[in-house]
Amino acid sequence: MADHGGGGGGCCPPMDLFRSEPMHLVQIIIPIESAHLTASYLGDIGLIQFKDLNAEKSPFQRTYAGQIKRCGEMARKLRYFKDQMSKAGLTPPVKTEAKCDISLDDLEVKLGDLEAELIEINANSEKLQRGYNELVEYKLVLQKAGEFFKAAHTSAVAQHREAVSEQAPEESLETPLLTDQDSKTDQGKQVKLGFLAGLVPKAKAVAFERILFRATRGNVFLKQAALEEAVVDPSLGEKVEKNVFLVFFSGERAKSKILKICEAFGANRYPFAEDLSKQEQSITEVSGRLSELKTTIDAGLLHRGNLLQTIGEQYEQWNLLVRREKAIYHTLNMLSIDVTKKCLVAEGWSPIYATEEIQDALERAAIDSNSQVGAIFQVLHTKELPPTFFRTNKFTDSFQTIVDAYGVAKYQEANPGVYTVVTFPFLFAVMFGDWGHGICLLLATLFLIFKEKKYSTQKLGDIMEMTFGGRYVILLMSLFSIYTGLIYNEFFSVPFELFSPSAYACRDAACSEATTIGLIKVRDTYPFGVDPAWHGSRSELPFLNSLKMKMSILIGVVQMNLGIIMSFFNALYFRNPVNIWFQFIPQMIFLNGLFGYLSVLIIVKWCTGSKADLYHVMIYMFLSPTDELGENQLFANQKTVQLVLLLLSLIAVPWMLLPKPFILKAQHNRTHQGQSYTPLEGEDESLQVETPHDSHDHEEFEFSEVFVHQLIHTIEFVLGAVSNTASYLRLWALSLAHSELSTVFYEKVLLLAWGYNNIIILIVGIIVFIFATVGVLLVMETLSAFLHALRLHWVEFQNKFYEGDGYKFHPFSFASLGDEDE
Amino acid sequence: MGFLLTTLIFVAIGIIASICVRICCNKGPSANLFHLTLVITATVCCWLMWAIVYLAQMNPLIVPILSESE
Repeated sequence: MADHGGGGGGCCPPMDLFRSEPMHLVQIIIPIESAHLTASYLGDIGLIQFKDLNAEKSPFQRTYAGQIKRCGEMARKLRYFKDQMSKAGLTPPVKTEAKCDISLDDLEVKLGDLEAELIEINANSEKLQRGYNELVEYKLVLQKAGEFFKAAHTSAVAQHREAVSEQAPEESLETPLLTDQDSKTDQGKQVKLGFLAGLVPKAKAVAFERILFRATRGNVFLKQAALEEAVVDPSLGEKVEKNVFLVFFSGERAKSKILKICEAFGANRYPFAEDLSKQEQSITEVSGRLSELKTTIDAGLLHRGNLLQTIGEQYEQWNLLVRREKAIYHTLNMLSIDVTKKCLVAEGWSPIYATEEIQDALERAAIDSNSQVGAIFQVLHTKELPPTFFRTNKFTDSFQTIVDAYGVAKYQEANPGVYTVVTFPFLFAVMFGDWGHGICLLLATLFLIFKEKKYSTQKLGDIMEMTFGGRYVILLMSLFSIYTGLIYNEFFSVPFELFSPSAYACRDAACSEATTIGLIKVRDTYPFGVDPAWHGSRSELPFLNSLKMKMSILIGVVQMNLGIIMSFFNALYFRNPVNIWFQFIPQMIFLNGLFGYLSVLIIVKWCTGSKADLYHVMIYMFLSPTDELGENQLFANQKTVQLVLLLLSLIAVPWMLLPKPFILKAQHNRTHQGQSYTPLEGEDESLQVETPHDSHDHEEFEFSEVFVHQLIHTIEFVLGAVSNTASYLRLWALSLAHSELSTVFYEKVLLLAWGYNNIIILIVGIIVFIFATVGVLLVMETLSAFLHALRLHWVEFQNKFYEGDGYKFHPFSFASLGDEDE
Repeated sequence: MGFLLTTLIFVAIGIIASICVRICCNKGPSANLFHLTLVITATVCCWLMWAIVYLAQMNPLIVPILSESE
């Protein structure tokens, strides 16, 4: 149990969520054989935050570093599988409920096998695919080049016939003895002319031709033909537009140059036979092989698909198992191992109400792991500050998040979250008041709440996530907005006479003076809200401004008083009478003597209908308090009352400032006078393990520091009383802005469109009105009012009592694993 | 309907709401106190807002002056 002078619960009965759960520091001694199972069961419960007892050790020196490496390996394999699955277009099914009973070692072996198999399949299919692409290219080369040769052959035959017919008469006399003629006529046998066939990317074709020409000094003949479709390049794996080329050359040197140029340009060469019959044979062969390869590749893909499918079914479970194990080993690494290496010692914070559950889990773990000894559970006494833990449900969780965003509550101080649940939506509604817009918000949030189950398991985008998380906040905001909308009497800025006829009517039957002097009040006050006669009148703004400003001040004073009263309860709980007598009481006197008095004046003025000028009264209360009030008098003996209040407020300031530092100093001296002998506290020595406790014994007391702290606190309060009260005027400002925007959209868009009596303009007008209302009023104004209500809570309300310098309770729990991203 | 009468109506609504909440979600003394706090806070806030608007209109210093476009 943490001794903070806490536990003063005698003043009032305990309330849920008002103070954080009482926590204690526990020490658990676990025998080694049941360590893993114990950690697993404790993780299921999720109510202990373990302290890291091995903080000085590096990650590699810890006991279970090897296990963590194994888990890391397995996680890597699982990520590889996920990658492969997404590449193949398979999505793993979302969490199946079946629990898998596989152990970590078996899983490791299985994952290793699957990975090897998958890698092999991938490599094979890649090889096959490459071969397939090459064969496709080869086939194209054969076809195209074959066409060249056929064309060339036919023209050669034609030429041959011509030459032969020409040469026949000259043969007797001029038959040269050289065999040049033979070689010239017989174009089939190219003894010195070699050729190469292949494919070159179309983009490089021109450059290819030019370089070939230059390199061989024009002694080559290149014929190119473009392919109609792009082919898949074997080495790149993607489709490229290519040309088939055929290059004829003579000589070995030319051949080597051409080979090098082909390589440089990435042109693939293929063997090409000159014989027509051989060409046909090659084509049929290649076609056969192509179809074979295709079936092989398809079979391979099918096999891979099946494999990925089986992996996909188990993927989520394996993933969860690996993450669980990793978390368990991380936790076990935080425990310190005893000298005898027979047990682990764990220290951690846990709420007091969970003690039985934890002891239960320890027993079960001991039994299930067949260990000889059970775990030992004991409570340690310490002066450390425990973490803050609130047991929230899905409704109060969002409000607590709002409070925690400013600062986590110190252990067991009063939680503003209790009142925030109501006052935050209320202040929002004061700034948003329009029951038409409130109904729209209500419908939107009811939709989210009905689809709660579905959305809570899905992964939503950032903005949607925030909106969904705050659905209960928005629900309350919309309900209060409907209420304040009824009070301000605005339905998309249109007032209605819902509760009784308006209290105002014309002075005479002809309503002659309605636009000059105005109406008069003939009936009782409109019973609920603002009278509908005000809307659209010329004196609407002066009236509403005065009303809303005074309302803001009144609400502000009430909320600030609530804040100061919360500080009273804190002082009572922590048994701190100094704070009560020398902080709470002067603060109450100061705030209420000035601004409480102003609130009273406002109410008296309303009740009596007096024409007193309150600005004048307040300012001259300070400037010349002894002056006669004259027509600003609101009640008898007002001058005396004001003098007394002024005096009290002036006394309150040094009352807040001076006594507390001196009293604290006297207290410190008293407690530390007999401190030469510090009694031995009952610290448990457990198996020679040192538990480091913070030494709070040397509290240095610097008087100047305490005095300056108190001075700052006093100045902050005194000046803050004025500035915070004025800050509440934002309630007026935003509500005015909302109402004016709403009026503009209604009158200048909808009514204008209605006035034209044209259906198209009307439809356009309605659409513009809807977009403007949703975009500006429902989204922007909501965010704006939300922000300002938040600021009023965080600063003006909480700075009266909230310290907010605690730290949050982060238990070791498997439930929170699901929220972590990999 | 009178200030006092409507205030009594608010009080009555508050009591009825507290009883309803106690009946439908009775989860132990500390939780009950929490729910009661919420209901009372909400009632007080709503009453405050209504009362301010009502008091401001009881003895008005200015009256509606209609605008000329009619």
